[in-house]
Amino acid sequence: MTGALRLLLESAGYYVSTAASITIALDISSADPPALALLDLTLPDGDGLSLVEPLHVAGCKTVVALTGHDDDDTRQRCLTAGCADVLVKPVPTRELLARTKAWLD
Amino acid sequence: MSRFESATNISTSRDTGPLVTSHTASLEARLKEAMLEIAELRARDGLKTQFLANISHDLRTPLTAVITHAEILRDGILGDLTPRQLESVRGIISGGRQLLNQVGEILTYARGSANQLTLVPTRFHLREVLEQVSALNESLLKKKRLSLAVDAESDLPPVIADREKIAHVVGNLLGNAIDFTPPGGRVWLHAARADGEERPSLRVEVGDTGVGIASEHHDLIFREFAQVDSTASRPHHGTGLGLTIARRLVELHQGRIWVESELGAGSRFHFTVPLEAPVD
Repeated sequence: MTGALRLLLESAGYYVSTAASITIALDISSADPPALALLDLTLPDGDGLSLVEPLHVAGCKTVVALTGHDDDDTRQRCLTAGCADVLVKPVPTRELLARTKAWLD
Repeated sequence: MSRFESATNISTSRDTGPLVTSHTASLEARLKEAMLEIAELRARDGLKTQFLANISHDLRTPLTAVITHAEILRDGILGDLTPRQLESVRGIISGGRQLLNQVGEILTYARGSANQLTLVPTRFHLREVLEQVSALNESLLKKKRLSLAVDAESDLPPVIADREKIAHVVGNLLGNAIDFTPPGGRVWLHAARADGEERPSLRVEVGDTGVGIASEHHDLIFREFAQVDSTASRPHHGTGLGLTIARRLVELHQGRIWVESELGAGSRFHFTVPLEAPVD
């Protein structure tokens, strides 16, 4: 999935870094905090939501959750954790590009 | 009865005493064995359900990637496609989304079987859900040239229920109505007050002028993996879990679901939603 999103966002002119785990994401974001983070909830080393606070502290303004779970519980959990929005996979590509532009403007 | 007969009976019953005791002991042992076997089968069934839930969840990730890659191609982000390439890529997206829905159904079924479904109640009007689900099915209805009527009795109070799950039930019933109604037919969604329910409730009817269901199959269709007639079902896709899931979600709300139908005379599925969702 990260490969497809990278392709999409890079084609739209964004600079993209991908991380396959919480540990890698923390390393990348502390060295070079992103303007926007798209966060998967299920990561091999834990709950993706545990990254929201460290990402904000590192200077990332907007964290958006990407999840396969289309239910109110998950949505509430993400928003409570500090996510600016919650998108259910697969997010239509045009919608993701339009939203990314709005978040970064 | 003579004195002799009576004495004989007593003596017989005395003789069989040890036999009965030993038979009872043997039955008790068999019962114990059967109970152990049931417990083991339940545990295995639980494992199977959990496996189904895990595998369904894991299937979503690569499927999502397939769909997103295909959408990138469709949108010309990597360069323009010829009309025939575009048609083929659209086929990948539509097949992928269909598969994703079916995987989602299996996941909901598995969670229901493992009692992992919980209600998140909010207050809403049933009419809003009927309109939302009908809008989602607009292109399918158009494709089959089916007319859809949506109406609700006037002054229906709102319900406090899990909106997403009620929409899921309506979606599954409407999906079936569309699948099993020949082109040119009629489909309708209707919300009304439910009469004679234990708790004050509303009732939703999803009706169609389709192929109908013989009365002997009315119970069967709500069971797992059941599709009544393999010949009639052949052109219809699906996991065979749609109605099982609908029943489970309705019963989670402590409502009822049933069907009125005759072969060749269309179907009317009904379900009730209590005005207030049950508290756990």
